[in-house]
Amino acid sequence: MAHETVELTGHIVDSLLLAKVLDVIVDAGVTYELAEVEIGRTNTDVSRARIEMEGDQAELDQLVDALQLHGANRVSAGTTTLVAADQDGVLPTGFYSTTNLATDVLVDGTWVAVQNPEMDCGIVVADGAARTIPMHRVRVGDRIVVGRGGVRVHAPAKQRGPTPFEFMSSEVSSEKPKALIVQQVAERIRAAHDAGGKVLAVCGPAVVHTGGAPDVARLVEGGWLDVLFAGNGFATHDIEANVLGTSLGVSVAEGLPTEGGHSNHLRVINEVRRQGSIATAVESGYITGGAMAACVRTGIPFVLGGSIRDDGPLPEVLTDTSAAADAMRAHIPGVAVALMLASTLHAIAVGNCLPAGVETFCIDINQAVVTKLADRGSHQAHGIVTDVGPFLGHLANALCGPA
Amino acid sequence: MAELTWGRRFLMCPPDHFGVLYEINPWMHAEVRVQPDVAVTQWEQLVANLRAAGAVVDTMDPRAEVPDLVFTANAGIVNGLQFVPSHFRHPERQGETPINAAWFDAAGFTVDVLPRHLDHEGAGDALPFTPEGGRTVLVSGYSFRSDAAAIPELGALLGCPVRSVQLVDERLYHLDLTFCPLDARRALCAPTGWDAYGRKVIEALVPEPLWLEEDEALTFCANSVVVGTTIIMPHTPPRVGRQLEAWGLTVVESRVAEFLKAGGGCRCLTLALDTVLT
Repeated sequence: MAHETVELTGHIVDSLLLAKVLDVIVDAGVTYELAEVEIGRTNTDVSRARIEMEGDQAELDQLVDALQLHGANRVSAGTTTLVAADQDGVLPTGFYSTTNLATDVLVDGTWVAVQNPEMDCGIVVADGAARTIPMHRVRVGDRIVVGRGGVRVHAPAKQRGPTPFEFMSSEVSSEKPKALIVQQVAERIRAAHDAGGKVLAVCGPAVVHTGGAPDVARLVEGGWLDVLFAGNGFATHDIEANVLGTSLGVSVAEGLPTEGGHSNHLRVINEVRRQGSIATAVESGYITGGAMAACVRTGIPFVLGGSIRDDGPLPEVLTDTSAAADAMRAHIPGVAVALMLASTLHAIAVGNCLPAGVETFCIDINQAVVTKLADRGSHQAHGIVTDVGPFLGHLANALCGPA
Repeated sequence: MAELTWGRRFLMCPPDHFGVLYEINPWMHAEVRVQPDVAVTQWEQLVANLRAAGAVVDTMDPRAEVPDLVFTANAGIVNGLQFVPSHFRHPERQGETPINAAWFDAAGFTVDVLPRHLDHEGAGDALPFTPEGGRTVLVSGYSFRSDAAAIPELGALLGCPVRSVQLVDERLYHLDLTFCPLDARRALCAPTGWDAYGRKVIEALVPEPLWLEEDEALTFCANSVVVGTTIIMPHTPPRVGRQLEAWGLTVVESRVAEFLKAGGGCRCLTLALDTVLT
């Protein structure tokens, strides 16, 4: 897809020029976005509109010529302004703040795709390449894009025709046929793997509480998950369930609280800390199964991000949140499908790091989590309101065959 | 009715060198001979009709190398003592620009120019309309002779609101062949010369338009000059004439057949020197 931007100024509202130009664009079958519109406050004030168009180049060239007749002029994309950072961890004033959409920057007269699209970052340009950079990683001398000049953002590609998830994109609702949805998520995971993409799972502790941890393990062992993000809670309860048969003191098999169970998670954390790492505890035979052991045995990378309320935490938990975010970022390139499994805070945190092109499924019993993720800018998230335990069981069956 | 606030003083150029020497609109045919004597007579009659209606006529010296200088409507746009000379699309007429600029400079006007790359053919493509109780709006045509992109530049130079109207009939290649303000409510309007958006713009601006049929418009009846309550027309279709008289206008037909051979009527031969747009 090629892009062109035209600008129209003057009394374009009263002269119906804006309406006409937009009609001409629509008639040409080209999609557009009104990037900027300034409407004059009185009838003597001029108005100005900046229209970004997307289509194939030949079509756009013809259209730009046609629009020129009406006074809409092709806007040269402007020039990229690069300002060297003068302080570590601080972006230059006026820095371009990224979205999670695919973005290009004009570098030496050529559009260069920004690597690692991620929202709320700056863009650093070095050696003819451009990439997003989180604020804390800025170093003195980094050349950062300032202002909007020389930056263009690709609108999310609109799928033509019915898509597998079209019926889900209407609204988040618990009233959807779950078996069908599970099949379709499985299809998307297969398709992502066929295309060489990675599948990311973000797991909350409720995965373990609802009995879903063995199914996560099956998916890991079956090669369907390629990277796992979680917090101290998920890993702890997964190990607790494996070692002591409880999750936060509640018997996973019987669903009943066990005597003294409230300290079970502390005891496993303590033991893993004694052994030095989850991997060592798996090797020693202290941990014999569960999702974390599956990751260790298959070599699937996992990142555990810490939080203030963590007990312990487990040795692998990264308590520096910036370091945890950076560790997650390192695994994001190549991710095609993300499963947000009953995790509120982690889902939003990971959603912030994902490019808009990653197909994201947010599975939670609580509808608010799903809408919250979209409200934080991850508009690509499909919401599936259901109990995560049974969902994972069905998904593992669909991908790995019946247990 | 509230008469036009302008149209009492005009600039004209005697047709000493007028002829159809080239073809830059569908009406011009180089093989059609202009009868110079008849042209002079018709031009002098137009001057007499304007004066009889109460207008003052100033003249500029004709030049042999630019025969269309006679069409002073295309000299540029007058706004009080400000003048914006035209930038002509056709090379045949581009020699007129410095002549016009020099005349207005000598006459004490401030000459402001459009960016060089933008074409605009002056009052031929831009006429003011002042609605009752409203402020003056300059209506500007574009496509055949003027660039749409010139119109906002013009608005900025003149400091007045401008409405653009796309011209779509090559035979009605200038706005002044399709639009003739009569007073604060009315205007002759040839909608077949405009695109659908242009029609809506005029509908929104002019409370009581006299819509011309295509055949009426092609007589160049909109290329008329209004002086107070007198309208001087190159041709008066009967229906149009009756309506104008019913509105209280005195219709004077001024034959300019020799100039129609070059695609110009009464309005094209005159440039109002008393338009104030701001």
